[in-house]
Amino acid sequence: MARYLKPLLLLLVLTNMVACTQVQPWQRGILAKEEMAWKADPLESALNDHIFFSKEASSGGSSAAGGGCGCN
Amino acid sequence: MIFNKSSFSLLLGAVSLSAGLNAFAVEEGDIAPDFTLPSIVAGQPAISMSELKGKTVYVDFWASWCAPCLKSLPLYNAMYEKYQDQGLEVVAINVDNPVEDGLDFLIDTPLDFLIPSDPDGETAELFQVIGMPTSYLISPDGTVELVHMGFRNGDMEIIEAAIEKTLAGN
Repeated sequence: MARYLKPLLLLLVLTNMVACTQVQPWQRGILAKEEMAWKADPLESALNDHIFFSKEASSGGSSAAGGGCGCN
Repeated sequence: MIFNKSSFSLLLGAVSLSAGLNAFAVEEGDIAPDFTLPSIVAGQPAISMSELKGKTVYVDFWASWCAPCLKSLPLYNAMYEKYQDQGLEVVAINVDNPVEDGLDFLIDTPLDFLIPSDPDGETAELFQVIGMPTSYLISPDGTVELVHMGFRNGDMEIIEAAIEKTLAGN
């Protein structure tokens, strides 16, 4: 068992060192700012999405989650 | 071979433990966590959940950057006026950081109920708030009767129905 301990410990430390963290819903104040949006004009991006959907028969993936309030 | 069966399961356990530590959101039927927070208004006394025991409490998490929150607050004010005589208390926890953002909103929209300030999100973390806004209806014995996330047209009816039910059980 003792010789597994070191790699195990190393793996455990490494998994805890992952830099990615989830921005919690109550921490999204800065992300919710207008200038943080991927696309400045919601109407234009809605139109673009519609055209894209018509041409490609697929939609979504054009923006990242986190800018909103996480409620809808 | 580094991984035999037992060390692998041990590792799996350790990883799932470190990943799932904060996966305990407050749900319906749970006992609401206790918290004490300062009021957003300077000079007002601190707001503590234990002091509100015995009352039906509607706890709401809001921020000035959250559009549906701002839509809901004036409606909650009307709801508070309607039910406060029957023992309803509304506690709308502001999570704005800086706090001034929340205060700016309150200047234009005066609200009559309790508004604690939680700029570091400690209480939001305690509840493991799932989205903004999220509100919790807590019965006099401390049980969470309703968890309501988001705010859309028609939501007031759902919330008021739950409040009436809880108040009737008093």
